Amino acid sequence: MKKLLSLLFLVSLFSHAQENNSMSQKKNEFRIDVLAVVLSNKASVSYEYFFDGYLSTGINVNYSNSSKLNDDFENGYRNNLPKMELNPYIRYALSKSRTSYYFAEAFGSYNSGDYKEIIRLVGTDGNAYYTTQKSKYSDFALGGGLGYKMYIKNCIALEFLVGFGSNLTNKAKSPDVISRVGINLGYRF
Amino acid sequence: MKKTLYIFSLVLATVLSSCDTNDDGFYNNVFVDIPNLVTIEPHSTTYTVGEKLYLNADFSRYQNENGTPLDLFKTTKASEFAFSYVIEKQIDANTWEVVYVDNNLLDVVKGTALNGSYVYGLCHLNTVDNTYEYRVGFPLSTSGTYRLSFGYNSDSNTSVELRSESPATQLILNINSLVSGIDGSGYYHFTVN
Repeated sequence: MKKLLSLLFLVSLFSHAQENNSMSQKKNEFRIDVLAVVLSNKASVSYEYFFDGYLSTGINVNYSNSSKLNDDFENGYRNNLPKMELNPYIRYALSKSRTSYYFAEAFGSYNSGDYKEIIRLVGTDGNAYYTTQKSKYSDFALGGGLGYKMYIKNCIALEFLVGFGSNLTNKAKSPDVISRVGINLGYRF
Repeated sequence: MKKTLYIFSLVLATVLSSCDTNDDGFYNNVFVDIPNLVTIEPHSTTYTVGEKLYLNADFSRYQNENGTPLDLFKTTKASEFAFSYVIEKQIDANTWEVVYVDNNLLDVVKGTALNGSYVYGLCHLNTVDNTYEYRVGFPLSTSGTYRLSFGYNSDSNTSVELRSESPATQLILNINSLVSGIDGSGYYHFTVN
């Protein structure tokens, strides 16, 4: 019985090592955020490069054209309309396994969109009136997040991510908070 | 354990992705102060049963604001401005009761009025002379001590708040307008004999 258990343990270790070896050969991964597509009408695509060890780095690009956000913007429920995000990130794996693990990430975010404010003008007839004026904004944010990633057949990635950042340079016009929340599906090769 | 973690992550991600900004608010509202747009029709504070208490508004679409005429219509594209008031009758020393009358008993001369727990009045734009108009008489059918106030939808005691009925996506103009004839607590007291 002892021998059988030892054998099973060795097989398990070997299989785990094989999986990790197989994963470490694959350095690149592309993902799309299915949660963003379904809930926010946002296209979110990510690329990640894996170094040897626990570190990886990548970039995420978002483009949003949500009808709900557009309506809220036009109806005055919000004064900015985020459209584009470029989020470079670096990650550190918190688990030893390479097929399912937790990770922590730090990210930057260059984000831009539309901004609307109310201004008072005086018309050619000499009468004043209030109106809205649209302009563009851009800002840079820093933030962090936590996530969990698992692989099916060592190549199909499923990733959960929750992260937040704070815009730094143009808060009067840009959103205060940048979120990186998503459920990503990807392919590692 | 893993299953619980997946479900937790999914729920958390869904919730947090729905509240990814703290910039929600009401950014189509403009607030201005323009006095004396609504008046209680001059009358002694004693009425007789069967008389009506009239409230009037007849103000130009061009109102002085910071030394310049402000075009209310160009700002809002609104053909109506809404405001509200309450008429109450004293039941005993400390109790006042809202007076309900059917809408068809209101004497609507200009504008529109709906009576419920308060009177909801709409000043209509008269495009001939570019003024917003309201004149509605409230029937006083029983004797007693009454009071009128504009504070039902307002935090102010001394003024009435008029709000433009703007089309979607247009600016909403909120006018804080001082009313004369009301006391420091925000009431116009009168009796009906």
